[in-house]
Amino acid sequence: MPESIISTESLTKYYGRVVGVEGLNLEVEEGELFGFLGPNGAGKTTTLRLLMGLLRPTAGHAEVLGLDAWRQSVAVKQLVGYLPGDASLYSWMTGEALIRFIARFNGHSEKEGFELAERLELDSGGLGRKVGGYSRGMRQKLALVLAMQKRPPLLLMDEPTNALDPLTQHILYEILNEYREAGTTLLFSSHNLPEVERMADRVGIIKEGYLVDTERIENLRRKRLRSVEIIFSGDVPDGLETIPGVSELERAGNRVQLKLRGDVNQLLKRVAQYDVADFSVTHASLEDVFLEFYGRGDSGGAV
Amino acid sequence: MNWNLMRKTISYRWQSTSIYSGSLAAYVLLLAAIFPSFKKMAGIQDFVKNYPKALMKFFGVQSFDVTSFNNYLGMELLTVMWVIIVGAYIISFAKSMVAGEMKSGTLELLLAQPIERWKVLMSEAFVLLLGIICVVLSTVLGVFVFGSAFSVGVTYTGYLAFIPVAIALFLSIAGYSILFSVVFNQPGRALMASAGLTLCFYVLHFAGAYWRIVEKIDWFGIFHYYDPLKVINSGSVPVKDVLILLAFSVVGFALAIWFFQRKDITVS
Repeated sequence: MPESIISTESLTKYYGRVVGVEGLNLEVEEGELFGFLGPNGAGKTTTLRLLMGLLRPTAGHAEVLGLDAWRQSVAVKQLVGYLPGDASLYSWMTGEALIRFIARFNGHSEKEGFELAERLELDSGGLGRKVGGYSRGMRQKLALVLAMQKRPPLLLMDEPTNALDPLTQHILYEILNEYREAGTTLLFSSHNLPEVERMADRVGIIKEGYLVDTERIENLRRKRLRSVEIIFSGDVPDGLETIPGVSELERAGNRVQLKLRGDVNQLLKRVAQYDVADFSVTHASLEDVFLEFYGRGDSGGAV
Repeated sequence: MNWNLMRKTISYRWQSTSIYSGSLAAYVLLLAAIFPSFKKMAGIQDFVKNYPKALMKFFGVQSFDVTSFNNYLGMELLTVMWVIIVGAYIISFAKSMVAGEMKSGTLELLLAQPIERWKVLMSEAFVLLLGIICVVLSTVLGVFVFGSAFSVGVTYTGYLAFIPVAIALFLSIAGYSILFSVVFNQPGRALMASAGLTLCFYVLHFAGAYWRIVEKIDWFGIFHYYDPLKVINSGSVPVKDVLILLAFSVVGFALAIWFFQRKDITVS
């Protein structure tokens, strides 16, 4: 049986009366890429901070690599690379100085950091420049380097692709895959469903401080909700609403909009029988996914 | 303590520390340069003699002698201005230590590294101690150098005895300023609390010079244990006063560590 790298039991954090997370039970296994999915304010960041020992749990407890996340937080931090959400860095330091500064804390060479910076195309942006002059994307790249440069057995990342352009996102996916092959476990948060689908093996869905569900990514794909728009050259054919998974069908002239859950093939086969002028599929928003599968909760907002 | 963090703090702080130190030395130069003219001013002895007795007591002047550079420096610098300037340096430094880093968000990055929180505080507080020593020594060296240059009659042993008293006073301010920096998440609030408490202690001491009833509780404030002229004129270190000031510092700093160990890092 695979070993749990992260294990939380009834983990709860309140900020005064406001729920951060409530009764979180989570297991992340060794070598897993676990996506923590939820809208802004759902409790993703609070969970990551609890795991890093930055917050003291109100109740319950969290274990990271077999260590108590709060009481043994220094030992945890030796083994974990952490990317804060929208990371704030020392603006008066140069990127190079910051890489060295963080490397010294962790007792490793800064060589890995400079190599990562090069791969993320940060060196061309000028590691010699002060961070205060960096764009948001450059700051995010540097924060990624700082989190990953010690090649830790566990990476905790809050919105890792935040502010990254698509090309850099792709490079990051490659690097994370390499880390995974080398045995690194990754827990990352995101409010972007396609990104979680792309990166993760398993996903935890959190909403308003509560872990709604954990799913293997294949199951989530089966449940996946899409918005489909079809423009027919002729009239919209009848009976589209009878195709399995189709709902919320709306017609307007020769255009039809619908929601599709699960397998797309049956709809494609049916539509292919007609002359189609345009066909577009978009992923449903996270809010739509929640509404479709989990309903809208009425508990207070989390942080 | 963590040398890596200390090095970072020193590289961030050396400029402001140099500016404070240099400015204070320059201020001493100004005072020393003016003093020969000041003591020759007609009627200055009588003018100052007519100061309220309580005010002279507040300044720590026993019997005013216009030819004494110590009295002049005590009134013009060490009792009021110096405390305000060095106090501002300490409070500004301390508020940035935790509250400032909390607000800027960099505390999350720092505390994500494998370092105990108390070591973070100890390392930064040690750099603050170095800064205080630097500022105090630059003032005293300024007195030695410029006092000699203008032959104003500097009592060297007195100023050497004054150094530990001054450092202890500023460490006591640092103790509660660091505590407020830990307790408050907003640097502005930490600054207001630190400056407010310092002002309260100062007013308490000032009022104690006027009203006997206030004097009875003056021992509660730090300025009760800070009498620069008495130390400079006597040339001996008031060990008890220094220890009490250091106790203020230790209590403030210990509470700061206690709070920081339990603090939630909730940068937004």
